[in-house]
Amino acid sequence: MLGIETEKRRDFGGKGMSSSVVEPESPDLVCELDNVQGMVDALTSVRWKRHQDAVLELSEHGIVLIVEDTGCLQAKVYLQRELFVRYEYSAQGQPRFGVSLGLFVDCLNTFCIPGHSSTIEFQYPGPDMQLLLKSTDSLSACTYAEIRTRIPDTISWDYNFVPAGSIPINFTVKSAALKEAIDDLEWPGSSIQIILQPAPPSVTFKAEGHGDLQIDFMYYANTDLLAAFNCDQIVSHRYKYKFLRATTSNIPSSVIKDNRGSKVTIGRGGMLKVQHLVSVARPSNSHPHIDSAGYQQPSRIAYIEFFVKPEVDEEN
Amino acid sequence: MKFKAFLTDHGVNLLEKRFLQALDKMGKVCHLYLTRDHAIFLHNLLNGDGIQSIAQFRKEALFEDYRISSQNDDRIAFTIDLSLLHRALRSIVTIYTEFGGSHSSDAGGPTLNRLQIKLVKKLPPHSQQPMPFLTFETKGYKSAVIQDVPISKPLSRSDVLELQAALDMAQDLPQTLVQVPDMNQLQNFVDRMKHVGDVLSVSISRYGDLHLQISTTLITLGAEFRKLLVIGEQAQVPTGDDSLSAQSRTRRAIERGDAMSVQVSVKHFFKSLQCHLAKPDCAFYGIGQQGSCLTVVFQFFVPGTRQTDKSISLHCRLPVLDPGAD
Repeated sequence: MLGIETEKRRDFGGKGMSSSVVEPESPDLVCELDNVQGMVDALTSVRWKRHQDAVLELSEHGIVLIVEDTGCLQAKVYLQRELFVRYEYSAQGQPRFGVSLGLFVDCLNTFCIPGHSSTIEFQYPGPDMQLLLKSTDSLSACTYAEIRTRIPDTISWDYNFVPAGSIPINFTVKSAALKEAIDDLEWPGSSIQIILQPAPPSVTFKAEGHGDLQIDFMYYANTDLLAAFNCDQIVSHRYKYKFLRATTSNIPSSVIKDNRGSKVTIGRGGMLKVQHLVSVARPSNSHPHIDSAGYQQPSRIAYIEFFVKPEVDEEN
Repeated sequence: MKFKAFLTDHGVNLLEKRFLQALDKMGKVCHLYLTRDHAIFLHNLLNGDGIQSIAQFRKEALFEDYRISSQNDDRIAFTIDLSLLHRALRSIVTIYTEFGGSHSSDAGGPTLNRLQIKLVKKLPPHSQQPMPFLTFETKGYKSAVIQDVPISKPLSRSDVLELQAALDMAQDLPQTLVQVPDMNQLQNFVDRMKHVGDVLSVSISRYGDLHLQISTTLITLGAEFRKLLVIGEQAQVPTGDDSLSAQSRTRRAIERGDAMSVQVSVKHFFKSLQCHLAKPDCAFYGIGQQGSCLTVVFQFFVPGTRQTDKSISLHCRLPVLDPGAD
């Protein structure tokens, strides 16, 4: 802790004032978000267990939250600075700290007032390295929180996602359809095989346990369902069901309502990357004539990424 | 011991659509205490544990032709299961309104239907021992329709005295009460706070600040409501406090003697907010003398006015947790 403290001492050099007097340090980050519910939605999408430790990484580009499970599953939530109404970054380097994900989300949830866009201010670090939250909505009512942080004991495992070959192998599918397919694949009680083939261009999900289930997405049959498809060779890998399930189990309802697509990529060695887009914008009920179903300003989107390691086959 | 009365439409509405659902949340079983002038629903007055709740109605608010007599100063008390009571009332009200209750389309027919409530002793099925019931009776299509709600044996004279003494103590209100700004918002907030911790600190100042805080080793979460309406003992808002954090403001107020703080169970606090089902017009929080309890008082206005309806009163007292070694 002490090491970090001394690292952070600095003067207001950035403001054009150079002085030898030790000024009170400005926090590494002060930022303000005008729709807490959106952030709750984005973070909830990476909750798959009751107790999860998350690591937050702060930079001038935004905030990244990372969660992992037993070295086989990693999820990242990118909240770029454009999502925030205010983003004042003055850290040296890129601070990283750990929080309990469930606690963080439950806490953010208390700032949400149904039917009302709540504004929240984040500050890090507090006097005791806490993450400070405050609602700045009204002069005569305020909500605040201080969340204890810890020094993360491991560097986030870099899953080092590398494309499978010179042509990327991926497809974009309606998020709702992907979730439904994965939900259905629960009952055979086995690991899931994902097969991509170029002819006919299709994606197949297969499970063989106490019962078999196969779900096919044909590219040309329904471009509404499968919006994009790139594959030049047959690719087939197996993934543990619970890890695959984690990638869609808590997709927020806004993603389904906004009719979004999720991008699934298979990288070298069968590493699976699943990407979702979650809207962090204000609810658009004040503009009923604007089609909220498709278009959303890019800066009002949080990017969610999951990496799932394939199951290692006994033979080969 | 005799009790017989007729429920008015206003009484039916108060109980069936508002109070019984709220009181059911305070606890499944409660005392019903009937006196010459009042009908009172009491939760946890004789046992120390949960939320105490007192819902008091002047007899005119619920009944007409109210008749009560007992050898104990015309007082009768017994315990009753509120969900059974609610269910019985709901079912008999359906018949009452269908067959000539004043809501029905053929009100103004030759005989207006009435909804009678009385205490009886009956032989329940499969038993040789007569048991006490609170019975509802009304006229159906061709015959009388009856709903019996089983109740406990009526309390003895000494038990009634004990109940009355507990009621007298519970009627003691805090010297300072602050008005809750928005019950829905508070309920929503506390509902979500429940997931974060179990113990809630409640601080109330005499100049209208209400400060709620949950603090665990991992998180401190709080909400502060300022400039609330104050009833009772008030103090001047101190200057220079505006720029402080909520925690500092509260700490200062307590040091000055302008505020008190107690700890209650979050679950109890949330439960007390369920009284919103009785549709009060506003609610007030106050801390009892010497931090003995947290009291919430619900106010009901005479419909269409802002005058307090003195025939109905509802308040709850939350037990205070021992802060222990801090």
